[in-house]
Amino acid sequence: MSSLLEKLQQSVLDVQAKLQQDSSAKSIEELRIQFLGRNGLLPALSKEMGSVPPEERKNVGIAFNISRKAIEEMLQDAKDAAGAVEAKKNSIDVTLPGRLANAGHKHPISIMIDECVNTFRRMGFIVAEGPEIEDVYHNFDALNTPMDHPSRDRGDTFYFADGRLLRSQTSPVQIRVMESQEPPVRIVAPGRCFRRDTPDATHGMNFHQIEGLYIDKDVSLADLKSILQNFAWEVFGEKINIRLRPHFFPFTEPSVEYDFSCIMCGGKGCPVCKNSGYIEIAGAGMVDPNVLRNVGYDPEIWSGYAFGLGIERLAMLRYRIGDIRYLYENDVRFLQQF
Amino acid sequence: MKISKNFLTQYVDIDCSLEQLCDKLTCAGIEVEEVESTEVVPKGIVVAKILERNPHPNADALSVCKVFNGTEEVQIVCGAPNCDAGKLVPLAAVGTVFKDGDGEFVIKKAKLRGVESFGMMCSGKELGLNDDHSGLMELPADSVPGTPLNDLLGADSCITVEVTPNRADWLSHYGIARDVACLLDTQAKLPEITIPEVKDVPERYKNLVTVMDNELCPRYTGRVIENVKVGPSPKWLQDKLTAIGLRPINNIVDISNYVLMELGQPLHVFDLDKLTEKRVVIRRANDGEKLELLDGKVVELKNRHLVIADAEKPVVLAGIMGGEESGVTEKTVNCLIESAVFFSSNIRSSSRELGVSSDSSYRYERGVDFDMAELASRRCAQLILELAGGELVTPLVDVSVPRPAEKVIPCRFERINKLLGISLSGAEISAIFRKLQLKVSDETAEGCVVTAPLFRLDLTNEADLAEEVARINGLAAIPLIPVTSKSVAPLRKDAYLKYQILREDLIGLGLFECYHYSTVSDKTALSDRRFKIEDVMILDNPLSLDLRCLRPSLFGEMLNTLERNIARRNLNLRLFEQGRVFCANPKMFPEERVEMCIMMTGSRHPELFSAELAQDIDFYDLKGTLEALFNKRRIVNYRFEAAEDARFVSGVCAKVVINGKCAGFLGEIAHDLTKGFKTTKKMYAAVLEVEAVLNGTQGKLLYKPFSMYPATDRDVAFVCDKNLEYSAVIDFIRKLKLAHLEKVELFDIFTDEKLGADKKSMAFKLTFRHAERTLTDDEINKSYHALRESLANKLNVELR
Repeated sequence: MSSLLEKLQQSVLDVQAKLQQDSSAKSIEELRIQFLGRNGLLPALSKEMGSVPPEERKNVGIAFNISRKAIEEMLQDAKDAAGAVEAKKNSIDVTLPGRLANAGHKHPISIMIDECVNTFRRMGFIVAEGPEIEDVYHNFDALNTPMDHPSRDRGDTFYFADGRLLRSQTSPVQIRVMESQEPPVRIVAPGRCFRRDTPDATHGMNFHQIEGLYIDKDVSLADLKSILQNFAWEVFGEKINIRLRPHFFPFTEPSVEYDFSCIMCGGKGCPVCKNSGYIEIAGAGMVDPNVLRNVGYDPEIWSGYAFGLGIERLAMLRYRIGDIRYLYENDVRFLQQF
Repeated sequence: MKISKNFLTQYVDIDCSLEQLCDKLTCAGIEVEEVESTEVVPKGIVVAKILERNPHPNADALSVCKVFNGTEEVQIVCGAPNCDAGKLVPLAAVGTVFKDGDGEFVIKKAKLRGVESFGMMCSGKELGLNDDHSGLMELPADSVPGTPLNDLLGADSCITVEVTPNRADWLSHYGIARDVACLLDTQAKLPEITIPEVKDVPERYKNLVTVMDNELCPRYTGRVIENVKVGPSPKWLQDKLTAIGLRPINNIVDISNYVLMELGQPLHVFDLDKLTEKRVVIRRANDGEKLELLDGKVVELKNRHLVIADAEKPVVLAGIMGGEESGVTEKTVNCLIESAVFFSSNIRSSSRELGVSSDSSYRYERGVDFDMAELASRRCAQLILELAGGELVTPLVDVSVPRPAEKVIPCRFERINKLLGISLSGAEISAIFRKLQLKVSDETAEGCVVTAPLFRLDLTNEADLAEEVARINGLAAIPLIPVTSKSVAPLRKDAYLKYQILREDLIGLGLFECYHYSTVSDKTALSDRRFKIEDVMILDNPLSLDLRCLRPSLFGEMLNTLERNIARRNLNLRLFEQGRVFCANPKMFPEERVEMCIMMTGSRHPELFSAELAQDIDFYDLKGTLEALFNKRRIVNYRFEAAEDARFVSGVCAKVVINGKCAGFLGEIAHDLTKGFKTTKKMYAAVLEVEAVLNGTQGKLLYKPFSMYPATDRDVAFVCDKNLEYSAVIDFIRKLKLAHLEKVELFDIFTDEKLGADKKSMAFKLTFRHAERTLTDDEINKSYHALRESLANKLNVELR
């Protein structure tokens, strides 16, 4: 019955040869049916077992199992290989760039204004606004600015032919608010200001300030210092301490300038703070009694503080932007960083 | 102002380090901007004592010395003949840097003929102090080893301080010393001034001073010294001046500068013999009079300028600058010392107008001490007599208005404490006033009366006194207290919130926010073609003519930003700005309003990597952005109408109408406005009135229920006239009010030759749905057929 063994052997060889020719999923399935299926060759050959002499049956049986297993394995291997190819055909390059959703960007000046405004809103302030084209009264006179104060000069402030001006500070908003309501007042006023500075790395033709004003009974310099310290902690982090220094502004008395401990070195001294450990931030003070009188508030009853912050300066410090002009150039490579 | 430490210590004892002094000054309101220590010799050179001198084993000319440098003994090989044990000499330690022309050389550890040497002992010439190179410079026997040689040589420190405009009294060394004394709890002392007493004005000087305008010149004093010898100043005086950046000229001029820096009183010294009739007349200039100033500049004067004249002509621009002719020179024999008070505003305006300023005008502008005129004159006379000889021949010729009254300010201690948030006792507060040389009187438990001396013109009210208390007590001593949020007005009254939200909406639509300057050129302003130059607000004193316009629109600068980005190869741009714009024509717009501008160009999806998918932004991207904004803000009643506008390409422009009012325009930017932009892509812009957008929202936001039942779609396609607008079709369908029609969507639109040149095909998907049940086919078909019929018969389209 060697012919049965030969047939088995031939079957294995045939499957191998055919797989070499065509290893597609379709061909694999055809081969399975042809050789292993219910009506396939191997089940047919198994029917010939009866004609095998009993002494050879054991060997032929073993041969049968080996052949079946060999064919099954070949088909499975081929199937796996085909599957891998198929899988590869469907796979994508996950490293290709994604299709970006259109994401907008807020300008750093807006970021800074919003942060300041939101911080002060948390402390009970609301925002007030005023015109950018101002009159001399609101920008200077009502703010107790002496008639011959240099800031009134045409070299420092922009004027129109009719004598009005572009506000040089947000402080006139203080006056407009106080004129329009009775105390108490608790406002901040972010806005654009104009000074006749020649543009350079730290000066532009306009800049933004945020003004704060609180008028109430018994407001003290300690309240001012505390609100400024809290602002520093909220917006620049809890490591920032403030320092007040006496200064002079016509519309506040006492007047102070306030510094942050250097946000770079923490106060040890570095080039940013010119080794002083402090960075000058802005001016503030207790509202001058003359200013209160100018708007009809009785300085014997009401007192208050005012402060101003330079928005560009804060943004430049926070983001370490070296030149103020970048803020107004609007290069998208700049804008998309924020 | 520059302060020299050595200069300052003449008037106050400073028993703290330079660093501490600077800190105290800054915290008292005299902000230190810069400290420069002048180095006479390089840093690192100290006094050293030679302990032993031994011969060098390998060289007869050299000695090996043991030297004590203040901290340790070091070995130095030395070639000088005088390096004997016991002598005190300068030692440059290892690491000391000597400047040598433009280069430098550093003292290193070295082996000299086999023997190690740790530094260099120096001669006077090596240190650049003198020409003596015969041997080591020998220092006084009482010098302490280890002392920096700079200290021994009296090297100075120059402190630059910022003086606020209210504190004219700080513009002198004595003035600063007054506050330093207060901060260091000591006394400032004026120099001792003695001059010979002269009783009468000699007959020849009877008309020495005539003041014609005592409003502009409230006080003028003159003093004559005859027979002076003009020459160079002594070294001490030259050093004092160079330390604060002044150039020594001659003894007389140097003295007047010195007294200015010492006492803050500007002085002028005339060569009396050059003054016609040897007298001065203080008067307003005659219109057209000319004066050649010290710096060579010739100014033409007006009646508003005050001059010092002689009997004939102006010789000095009062308080600002001397004339070329009347100044002191080497030939001067007789001189007149002027020490005067001028009206500060007049000095300031004259100085600004004529473009001439000086150390004198700087002080007069801020106001000088009425009392100081006399003292400074005495001081100047004293020094001239000391350093230039001569004889004082007149007493002080003083032409003055009555001395101004000192300001008397009542002070309530409780009020001061309340304003500062501190609690000092009355005694502590009045002690601060006294230390500041303010007069305190009528002191009670509740308060006192403070009289401000004439050098403190800045003190006028109680708040000013509070500042003095805060300043001297220290702002660091103001306590931090809990911040309580106090709402005095509701958030809905917040003026900024609406703009903040609109900005967030625009950013949410994928736009990049821009900020531009408000001042623009004519060209930029007028590129928004709605405006003519007479509609634009023009500055009277712009920085340059090129920046004289206030932007009438955001369009112009945004266009510049497009160009700038494109030039830098940033080609895909979606930008916006929300900002104030200005208009001079009330018929067009209010003077100030808020506008928004959007500009877009480039690829719709720049990061698409399949070429066939790369599409350029077009009109409908911009329009869709606005529609998305309106939807977000619940602006329902809006429409886009075809329009023509000079800013946009004809036919690719629409007017935005919100609630029946024009809110702005959008379209493809006119090609002549973008000529030269280095891109082939089309550019689109929208300019809208922000108020129109903010006010466009109608009704309250209320939840609307929606159907849970299935929807059924039907399509309808037709051929129509090419000019039939989409909105006409939609409006037509809407007006039919078909039952159960939920939604109409355009899904195809095309033109084709087969349809005819003036025809197009449109196809719509109709969605039908009922709120409470599933619709039947019959119901849907009824509506659908009604629509088809109406389209065919009333809109006259050809159904397909």
